Amino acid sequence: MAGTVIGEGLSVEGDITSDEEVVVQGNLRGKLTSSDAVSIGPSSVVQADIAGQSVSIAGQVTGDISAPERVDIQAGGRLVGDVKAARFTIADGASFKGAVDMEV
Amino acid sequence: MSQSSVIGAGTVVHGNLQGEGSLEVFGRVEGDVTMTGEVVVGEGGAVRGDISASKISVSGSVQGNLSGSEGVLLERGAKVVGDISAPRVGIGSGALIRGHVRTEGEAALGQAKRTPGPGVKPATFAAKPVAKVEPKAAPPLREAVAAPREAVAAPVIAERPKEKPPERRPPPPVLPSLGKGAKGKKKKDRDE
Repeated sequence: MAGTVIGEGLSVEGDITSDEEVVVQGNLRGKLTSSDAVSIGPSSVVQADIAGQSVSIAGQVTGDISAPERVDIQAGGRLVGDVKAARFTIADGASFKGAVDMEV
Repeated sequence: MSQSSVIGAGTVVHGNLQGEGSLEVFGRVEGDVTMTGEVVVGEGGAVRGDISASKISVSGSVQGNLSGSEGVLLERGAKVVGDISAPRVGIGSGALIRGHVRTEGEAALGQAKRTPGPGVKPATFAAKPVAKVEPKAAPPLREAVAAPREAVAAPVIAERPKEKPPERRPPPPVLPSLGKGAKGKKKKDRDE
């Protein structure tokens, strides 16, 4: 089980800093920084810049994403913002608007 | 499961948390927490801000006010600096608290105590003046008897009863009457 879970009914307004896995299923407005994996669940609405080891998006995200490992936008996921990552995948059915920087 | 949230031990939240369901805090929260369900501040967890929820259970530390619509429970290891208000408050042994504690929702008990107080006092005030008047009315009869004999003595007698009612002195001490020289006799007997 993940170290930190922002559940479906929970809204966070502010910054989250963590050194463990973070799962967001609720709402977040602010900033999310983790040195481990970050996953944005299908029901969540996030307005924040996200930094994590790897970031997986299945919900709605507005903000810039940066991950040294990888960023994945799952089917049904929606991202408006720039992505900076070594690996980046956009699944069929996902929507994305923004710039990508893969450090080539 | 989706309604339950966890702030893990390695996580710090700067900002407010608000929502439905329950929340467990093992990390740090710097901001207010408002939940419809239960909030648990676990061992090692720390919250700097007010917490409002249906039930609050604390084993970690909280710097802020706790307000529970059902209850607040401070368990062993809890450190709370702030006020607590809930219908039921539990403070376990080993829990530390600095602040006011108020068990709300039982106002009926406080009101019942207040009402009889003012009702009793006026009754005692009314009774006293009635008792004082009676002795004043009686002396003139005595005065009337004494007056024909000596005109000078009469006013003196008449004045005395007037003073009497206000000075309610305790009865004079009853001393055991010993005959003249009895004390000395006793002393002698004891010495011999």
